[in-house]
Amino acid sequence: MARSFREAGHLPKQSADGEPRPPEELPRQRAGLTPQMHGRYPDYDVLAQADHWDPVTRELLESRAREVPPVTVFTAAEEACLRPFLDVVLAQDAEPRIPVFEMVDKKFAQGKLDGYRYEDMPEDPETWRRVAAMLDRVARERGAPSFAALDDEARDAVVDAFSEGELESEDLNVSRAWSVVMRGALSEFYSHPWAFNEIGFGGPAYPRGYMRMHQGPQGREPWERPEAFEEDPVIDVPRRGLK
Amino acid sequence: MSRRLARAAKGAVFPEDNDSAFLLDVHRRAVPTEAMPHYRDDDEVDLVIVGAGAGGSVLAQRLARAGWRIVILESGPFWDPDRDWVSDEAGQHKIYWTAPRVIGGEDPVELGKNNSGHGVGGSMVHFAGYTPRFHPSDFETYTRDGVGADWPLSYADLKPHYEKVERELPVAGQDWPWGDPHSYPHAAHPLSGASELGREGARKAGIEMRVGPVAIPNGTFGNRPHCIYRGFCLQGCKVNAKASPLITHLPDAIAHGVEVRADSHAARVEVAGDRVTGVTYLRDGVERFQRGAAVAVCGYSIETPRLLLLSATEGWEDGLGNRHDQLGRYLMVQGASQVAARFPQPLRQWKAPPPEISSEQFYETDLARGFARGFSIQTVGPLPIAWAEHVLADGHWGRGLREYMRDYNHWTTLGLLCELLPQARNRVTLADEHDSHGLPVARFDYTQCDNDRANIAYGTKVLETVWEAAEAQDTLTIDRYAHLVGGARMGFRPEESVCDRDQRVWGLANLFVCDGSVMPTEGSANPALTIMALASRLGERLGKRLVTASAEPAGAASYTS
Repeated sequence: MARSFREAGHLPKQSADGEPRPPEELPRQRAGLTPQMHGRYPDYDVLAQADHWDPVTRELLESRAREVPPVTVFTAAEEACLRPFLDVVLAQDAEPRIPVFEMVDKKFAQGKLDGYRYEDMPEDPETWRRVAAMLDRVARERGAPSFAALDDEARDAVVDAFSEGELESEDLNVSRAWSVVMRGALSEFYSHPWAFNEIGFGGPAYPRGYMRMHQGPQGREPWERPEAFEEDPVIDVPRRGLK
Repeated sequence: MSRRLARAAKGAVFPEDNDSAFLLDVHRRAVPTEAMPHYRDDDEVDLVIVGAGAGGSVLAQRLARAGWRIVILESGPFWDPDRDWVSDEAGQHKIYWTAPRVIGGEDPVELGKNNSGHGVGGSMVHFAGYTPRFHPSDFETYTRDGVGADWPLSYADLKPHYEKVERELPVAGQDWPWGDPHSYPHAAHPLSGASELGREGARKAGIEMRVGPVAIPNGTFGNRPHCIYRGFCLQGCKVNAKASPLITHLPDAIAHGVEVRADSHAARVEVAGDRVTGVTYLRDGVERFQRGAAVAVCGYSIETPRLLLLSATEGWEDGLGNRHDQLGRYLMVQGASQVAARFPQPLRQWKAPPPEISSEQFYETDLARGFARGFSIQTVGPLPIAWAEHVLADGHWGRGLREYMRDYNHWTTLGLLCELLPQARNRVTLADEHDSHGLPVARFDYTQCDNDRANIAYGTKVLETVWEAAEAQDTLTIDRYAHLVGGARMGFRPEESVCDRDQRVWGLANLFVCDGSVMPTEGSANPALTIMALASRLGERLGKRLVTASAEPAGAASYTS
């Protein structure tokens, strides 16, 4: 792991093998929570700032951080497929997980729409259902009883083909379906305060606002925390033979 | 005012005939409505306006000052920013038009949060805040460049209204060297560290960028507080710093007798002979009819054509103003691809308003580029969900996507506004499905032409050149669209347009369209200021009776400008 994030070698397009650095090498989160408890800002917890937010925003964000909505729209079979699918596309391979599946279900339960539908696509909830059916069908074609039964490598291969629009479907425009489910999933994931912690986003900023807009450390508000560029000592110390 | 005087007075000039900024309350954000009148449905008001956005609100304010009795029907709620809005990207979904619509064509345009507002204030509640003027060339692209269409009015017709609206919003920015050179009433805002990199990269690449023009006062403005640089402009300004007609025109309109009737969805404009008589609307599930001596439809490029199509009646079988199959056509969007760049130091691009610096150096036609018309370059400041969409669009998911997301604070983003050309095939029609009111929803088909594709490709290359010059370590690109323009365009003859130069629908003496749908071309400028300036001009002409809603044949009114 790089000793600082000034270099860009940890990014997929800049690394030799096209892969990001393993997130397990990042520091463990020390303040608050992040998904999978790794992040670049181990001492930053956006929820610790909640007293500085207006009451309507505070209530919404605190309940979003607390809530695991009940599943009422998707069937058990769809859940069995979509849950591991979301884990793969969002790289949520360990607890704590942001409950994206439940959050998507809740959005559909509330009948929330995005204001447009492609003429060759069904309504969004139906798109999700057909995606689940397509993933299970592809898994069967590859010799497994279901998508959930595939091993990690095989799941990645199916999702990779999906992302490239290379899966076949009789009732879906596959590229558009990828866009619909991914944007739906990302809209939930990156609305969650744990994700704000992981990426160092300041979160709600009303009524306090920001006073420091510079580049580098001068651009950090007093309540923001620096990036941790050191490796996790739990991994780093034994590997370097220091103990 | 001379340029020297204007400079000395920067930040200290208030509009003479719009007290909105002083009518707001110091201690709460909601527009005071205690004194708002309530008209009866059977009371024939002077004007019924459909839609409380950039066009409808400015028109109402101008005519209320001239003594007109006006009702604005607005489909969405009357927002109270303290109570209804949150400082959160996902939580502000409510300010977008999310009712069903169908999109098609070869290059479908996503609607909703991208370009469609809902509620009092309209799309300007979520607009970024850029308020550039159109260039003089925009009004005659057909004559100059052989593409698009000429407007039935010129830059000179709009110039006094550009100046007036710039004082009302007010607009902050550096002196503007492009188009018709001009200054702004407020000095430019301080620049964030992230935007400094864009400006520096552009300078090294031989491109000038300037700060602004942004509809956020630099300082307080009346009872509107100073911007707090929190970066949530696209989520609605809870501060009341960023301009929207909710706070810049409706307070004054209400004080002069306008009723804003929220949660009232227009279903049909009613017609008798060659005149309209009022608007049928739905409120709390009940169908009602508001009588009016004139009607102005101000629902923007999708809902305005839809309402006129839904109003089809005897004599207007294909929709009002649609005897020549022009309604809904020539709908435009702007190519708005964005290229983000990575730098060694943290930048936190989510601080400061997303609109900061822009360049109009590539605005005009340069045939050496291989296409007609041009584009603008502007900063954008994606919040986490928008940033995730950007990373996804570059082809990343799973661990790669999470890594780019964790790298968020090291990135800054420039975007394009490419002028895409008006085409008859890009249009709104009615779809087979219905909304919650039981009304057919709009379908919007969109396909780019070769000139459009060449423009976007060239502009994207220019952004890459800027970031190369700035020595960026990595870039991420997303192709997208912004804004809506056209769909009920104004023109010289009914055979090629929906309304005349006074935005009056051909053949209906007292029906006007007053929003972005009347614009024949879109320029490479964000449309809000031009929509407001057009409404200001129409308001002035109606108020001074230079154009009247009388039964004389449409187009026969005397023109003075």
